[in-house]
Amino acid sequence: MERSSSLEKAIRGILITAVLLFFLFPIFWIFLMSFQTNEDILRIPPSLFFEPTLQNYSALLTGKLETAAGSLDIAFMRNLGNSLLLSTFSVLLSLALGVPAAYAFARFKFRLGENIAFTLLSFRFAPPLLVLLPLSLFFKQLGLTDTYIGLIWVYQLICLPLILWIVRGYFEDISPDIENAYRIAGHSWWRTFRRIAIPLARPGIAAAGLLAFIFAWNNFIFALILASASKQPVTVGALAFVTASGIQYGQIAAAIVLSVTPTLLLALYAQRYLVEGLSLGAVKG
Amino acid sequence: MSSLELSNISKGFKSGMVLEDVSLSVKAGEIVVVFGPSGTGKTVLLRIVAGVQEPDAGGITIDGVDMTDASPEARNVGMAFQNFALFPHFSTHDNIASPLTARNVPEGRLKEQVSAIARMLKIDHVLGHAPRELSNGQKQRTALARALIGQPKVLLLDDPLRNVDAKLRYEMRLELPRLLRTFNSAVIYVTQDYKEAMALGDHIAVLRNGRIEQWDTPTNVYRAPVSLDVARLFGDPTINLAPCRLETVGQGSQIHAFGRVSPVSEAYAEATGRDLVAGLRPEHVIVTETNTPGSVEFDLDAVMPVNVRSVLYLRGPAGEEVLATVGESEAARFGRGHRKVWVSFAPDDILLFDAASGQRLAPRVN
Amino acid sequence: MANLLLDDISKTYAPRAKAPIRAVKQVRLDIKDGEIVALLGSSGCGKTSMLRMVAGFEEVTEGAIRIGGQEIHNLPPSQRGVAMAFEGYSLYPPLKVRENVAFALLREKKANAEIEARVRQVAELLEITDILDRYPTVISAGQQQRTSLARALIRRAPVSLLDEPMSQLEPQLRAIVRARLKDYLIEHKMTTLFVTHDQTEAIALADRIAVMEKGELQQFGTPAEIKERPNNLFVASFVGEPPMNIFDAHLDHAGDHLRINALGAGGQAAFSLKAPLLENVAGQDVRIGIRPHLITLGADASPTSEDAVATGRIISNHWLGDQSHICLDVAGTNVVCVTERPVETEIGKALALRVPAKAVHLFDAVSGRALAHGLASKVH
Repeated sequence: MERSSSLEKAIRGILITAVLLFFLFPIFWIFLMSFQTNEDILRIPPSLFFEPTLQNYSALLTGKLETAAGSLDIAFMRNLGNSLLLSTFSVLLSLALGVPAAYAFARFKFRLGENIAFTLLSFRFAPPLLVLLPLSLFFKQLGLTDTYIGLIWVYQLICLPLILWIVRGYFEDISPDIENAYRIAGHSWWRTFRRIAIPLARPGIAAAGLLAFIFAWNNFIFALILASASKQPVTVGALAFVTASGIQYGQIAAAIVLSVTPTLLLALYAQRYLVEGLSLGAVKG
Repeated sequence: MSSLELSNISKGFKSGMVLEDVSLSVKAGEIVVVFGPSGTGKTVLLRIVAGVQEPDAGGITIDGVDMTDASPEARNVGMAFQNFALFPHFSTHDNIASPLTARNVPEGRLKEQVSAIARMLKIDHVLGHAPRELSNGQKQRTALARALIGQPKVLLLDDPLRNVDAKLRYEMRLELPRLLRTFNSAVIYVTQDYKEAMALGDHIAVLRNGRIEQWDTPTNVYRAPVSLDVARLFGDPTINLAPCRLETVGQGSQIHAFGRVSPVSEAYAEATGRDLVAGLRPEHVIVTETNTPGSVEFDLDAVMPVNVRSVLYLRGPAGEEVLATVGESEAARFGRGHRKVWVSFAPDDILLFDAASGQRLAPRVN
Repeated sequence: MANLLLDDISKTYAPRAKAPIRAVKQVRLDIKDGEIVALLGSSGCGKTSMLRMVAGFEEVTEGAIRIGGQEIHNLPPSQRGVAMAFEGYSLYPPLKVRENVAFALLREKKANAEIEARVRQVAELLEITDILDRYPTVISAGQQQRTSLARALIRRAPVSLLDEPMSQLEPQLRAIVRARLKDYLIEHKMTTLFVTHDQTEAIALADRIAVMEKGELQQFGTPAEIKERPNNLFVASFVGEPPMNIFDAHLDHAGDHLRINALGAGGQAAFSLKAPLLENVAGQDVRIGIRPHLITLGADASPTSEDAVATGRIISNHWLGDQSHICLDVAGTNVVCVTERPVETEIGKALALRVPAKAVHLFDAVSGRALAHGLASKVH
């Protein structure tokens, strides 16, 4: 009764192709654009046939952009470095704070526990602009405007709730008896946390860390308002291509390809963690 | 002196009291079975002894030392969980070795001890495997090895045979007493299976609704249950029960139950007139093909062979249902059932319970 | 009711991109009108596939199924005349227990009085009278299973199919419910096929048992046949609690008779038996089996010339209220004996045991096929 007719197969094939086209076409098109000159891009009708050029990439890498209106400095590589630095340290800080907190929320029942956990999540609901205006004032007072530390701090609003809620679920899935067994065997609480709880929740921690990294990487608005050119990540930096002499579509496309590549590679690498999961075969009877 | 003393342990959750005033003492080398249907607080009791749950009241002493507030790692307790609770990311070897690593046992001695206990439990060939590659039986043995290897003063076994197949469960039931004896721990063994309880326990504590209803040797729990509930929990098939009343006739007392009148010892005379329940174990019911003195005619409605015996389903003149166990050869005479037979029993085999309280009547001692 | 014939049925699952799985291989069961048959086996032996094929939830890959002579395996489930109790209960959650039980009768538009009488009867049988007006979600697993059983039994369909009917039953109720169920099935002459992994249940309820393993029928016979004349080692060791004691053994020809030397662990001699010559025995390596309750214990074990006497050391001695299970170490192998009376003995003590020749089963060591049941001189 699991047999399916060839008609069904055909329809399924067509539908899958349509979905793939719909989702992958923009990425494919951007990829093509990054090898085109602005003239090729703006030609109407657009064509799949063009003379590929590496000019966009070389401009980004050298930091010099030759346009009709003259030479322009672009800080793309620096922006890329900023993105990497901000996202990495934000995620590391979030993990350091969020994993123990997630464990506490999963294992211990304390007063207002659920409320605190929910409040943390609710930061994700509010529009960022709502908090940004007061924040920018505070930051000025505290001297945190346009500093890496200030940005990493603000990025906790993105990373921490994500990590807390995902990792908490993973901790809850581990049978407390496994930890109890380790403690009864004579190990301290701290050792049990390190040797049992953390390794068993590792797929969840990896997944949450990865997602947090991507979210931090893709953030635009916080850095736009709180950082100047020297501290800007790529998302904001791409604005530089909107120049007085016109929009540099080719460079934007190349910048997007370059900035998406790290997260894409990371996602592909970590897929193993996300999908495989640690088999808890030893727990279930 | 007892290795483990529990005094007046109580524990409640939001949903109500789980343990009330439970006291228990276990000597080194002794196996105490905590037996009861599910949801009676057996596992909570073990967790309290292990220190992973706190009692609301009461104390725990291990080898004379008060351990009520000690953390689990300080108690020198071994525990095997019903769901095994193996560390999925450790090999079998490392699972078993975990109590030794906690004590910084040197590598060489650790390896030696692990392979010795693995040999004893016949899992030495899977020491390099991860838990998920083990069969349920091997998982269970690994959990047992892990609980035993530290030679704990107190060993807690939480229904360890629950999740293994029937055949293995039976084999383990035979092997466990010898194995446990070599370690000389004070053992608390939790189970829901009365046969396991009788086979393994030096003493049985019958736990019901958070209280110890009976504390006795297996033979006594079976022969002289303190209440209806305990009587019903032990024995397969379950004890036959019939409501009855004690009447005084001339000099003696008698009851009318299971289709006939039986004399009752004078020791029960004070229960005259009260509502009682008579209990009769299926193996004490005598079934014959012909009328013998004192026997009553019953319908034999079904014959069910069970291993070396057969269970007979009998219905009396007033519709009373009685189950009887008889030997296989005897049962062969009755065919598929649906015929008349004659039923009798020795009046001494009747157990009398108070219908209201469920307690067994205590004979008055002169 | 009607007879049920499974005529050489096979079931092959063909998962995509994987080797096909032959779950049931050419099984033939001829079930008489009114007969109670158990499909017994461990999980994955194909017993549930067979039941589902009869019910109509799985297609039959090969073979035919007939009820009362009529081929039914191509009919939809509702037209086959079968009632089924599911292992997962599958009760209708919006309906009360009473309506669940009466469902089929309501659909058949039976008279109210009759429906009520039949509901009362099965409810009493399965002790669900006091929960008839509750909903399935608020009753225990055991009660749900009894409700599901009631829903199947009430129909008195030509063929009743029960999938693990008593797996969740409360231990205190098991014996009595089993008894009433057997009585009910016999009284209404219901042809019944039930699946179980519990050999005790199969033996207690069934007129005949089909023992399955790896999709193949190992033996189809009465409980007595299965216990006393098992076809092979698998059946012998699967049925019986405690299981049959098994020894490796070596055959020696000694003129007009055979000498069977049972071996313990590592090939130590355990005991030896004299047996008549057997025609169907080719090799010298065999295995012998003895049921635990047929071994006699103690010094009074006076042997006849064919019987074997061995000595063992007590490993455990368990009194279970109505029987004793004693385990002895005989030449490094565990031997279990069952007695009706408690045995006064201590762990570690040596004890004599007698193995009666007529209780010994002989199996081929390689194929596991049974060679002889009982080795007394007159028996072949």
